[in-house]
Amino acid sequence: MALSLAISGLDAGYGAVKALRGVSLHVEAGETVALLGTNGNGKSTLMKCVAGLVRPQRGSMSLTIDGVAHDLTKLSTEAIVDLGVAMVPEGRRLFPKLTVLENLMLGAFRAAARREIERNLAVAFETFPVLKERKSQLAGTMSGGQQQMLAIARALMSSPRLLLVDEPSVGLSPLLVSQTITKIGELNQNLGLTVLMAEQNFNQAVRIASRGYIIVHGEIVVAANSVDELKGNDIVKRLYLGGIV
Amino acid sequence: MDLLLDAVVIGVLLGCFYAAVSIGLSVSFGLLDVPHVAHPAFLVLAAYLVFFINEHYGIDPLVAGLIITPLFFVFGLAAYRLYYETFERRGSDAGVRGIAFFFGVAFIIEVLIILQFGVDQRSVTAAYIGKSWRIGDMRIPYRMLVAFGVAMALTLLLTLYLSKTYMGRAIRAVAQDQEALRLMGANPIRVKQWAFGIATAVLGLAGALLIIVAPIDPTLDRAYIGRTFCVVVMAGLGSMSGTLVAAVILGVAESIVLTMFGASWAPAIAFAMLLGVLAVRPQGLFGRRS
Ligand SMILES: Nc1ncnc2c1ncn2[C@@H]1O[C@H](COP(=O)(O)OP(=O)(O)OP(=O)(O)O)[C@@H](O)[C@H]1O
Ligand SMILES: [Mg+2]
Repeated sequence: MALSLAISGLDAGYGAVKALRGVSLHVEAGETVALLGTNGNGKSTLMKCVAGLVRPQRGSMSLTIDGVAHDLTKLSTEAIVDLGVAMVPEGRRLFPKLTVLENLMLGAFRAAARREIERNLAVAFETFPVLKERKSQLAGTMSGGQQQMLAIARALMSSPRLLLVDEPSVGLSPLLVSQTITKIGELNQNLGLTVLMAEQNFNQAVRIASRGYIIVHGEIVVAANSVDELKGNDIVKRLYLGGIV
Repeated sequence: MDLLLDAVVIGVLLGCFYAAVSIGLSVSFGLLDVPHVAHPAFLVLAAYLVFFINEHYGIDPLVAGLIITPLFFVFGLAAYRLYYETFERRGSDAGVRGIAFFFGVAFIIEVLIILQFGVDQRSVTAAYIGKSWRIGDMRIPYRMLVAFGVAMALTLLLTLYLSKTYMGRAIRAVAQDQEALRLMGANPIRVKQWAFGIATAVLGLAGALLIIVAPIDPTLDRAYIGRTFCVVVMAGLGSMSGTLVAAVILGVAESIVLTMFGASWAPAIAFAMLLGVLAVRPQGLFGRRS
């Protein structure tokens, strides 16, 4: 299944705050692409633009599926979900007073996803067995690592082909960060998901990414075609590898 | 002792009736955070429509309640849309202005009812009104048993709807995290509007019970503001089974006070319990701390 995301010249912001300036980026079918940047540089804003939660002010965003281009700047989040885009938001954003199973079932809210619910639920439980054991537990009472797994599993319930993952490492211990990143890598390998992942944790992100972008103050300052190219980049050395961070 | 037992039995049935008239508010205020102080006015309006249908066509009040249910559903959809467009979408201070909006709506409904039906008390006729069931020395009015049955059915149906359907789960999720719900491909505004429609539709049968249980007058809604909000807050916002239990507690308390101290104290009970709950356990009896 051919799917690709192409963003070009994207500006977005919140009132007077400009969060993205002329951002261009592309993701091809089957890739895992990292969007790297420290706090407040616009990673989440970019993810939200793709998901239709934030409307860009300028620029283009198109998702091409089997040769048909869809203009994401004109579509609602509902329509974007129907196209096969799912997002694991920063901070998990579960429904804390609903059970694990209820959270998962909400991930299958769209009519097309409801028809696939048996299969997707099986995949979710197979990928994260702990969720099956705890399916009747309230989401808000689970540990941070379990909540992150649930957030990822919930996104899988809409049968996505492009998965947007926003800072999965936030608030997790180093061991759990590593496990979570490994899981995302497996989703790419085993389910053939195309992944765009925002991260601050450079070393963890590049374990599974095939290439990446660095965003600083809303602008893409590095677009690297391989992990080696990223590691060799001067800005990366200064920001991530040189000891400032 | 017999007197007390009587009071408790009648109180339980009265409480079930309170549950039926409060459960819509449990959705609109409890789950959606809409400060719906016009809920009791909607209830009285429903009771008047039931009266009208019963008087003109001789249709049983419960059937009349069912007839107006779809009408009230649409009325609810429209009312939420108006509230959303004029208040909620503007954000932060929607709370206080929302209350003003619904007070205004309640006032208009009261005036329209007076213009149309006058200020006299109105009642309906049905086979089960006015007769009682005797067990030993106890006499239980059939109309209270009807209220009991309808309340049970409404609570069960709403509980099932909210837990077993996709829309029901979205309704419970919408107050917890709207943006996350959008990511699931649900439109939060449409979910809320649908839920408000259901909360209003339930008033069809609740309004029928209101006039089955006792005669109504246009200002009756004022007596139910305290009761319905007391029940919903005591239940823990948004819990359907909690609504039933809280309503029974209120019904029994009112009934006992009525028996022991006389009718003039009964209306104060709801406010006293509301204040008590807010002071001691603001998350309600069955609410979970978040
Ligand atoms: N809802 C909002 N209203 C106003 N400004 C916002 C809003 N959300 C983000 N911003 C601002 O936009 C800029 C980019 O924020 P964004 O959340 O996209 O960054 P980020 O890279 O995801 O940061 P973090 O690593 O902290 O998640 C920041 O200056 C932020 O303060
Ligand atoms: Mg962010």
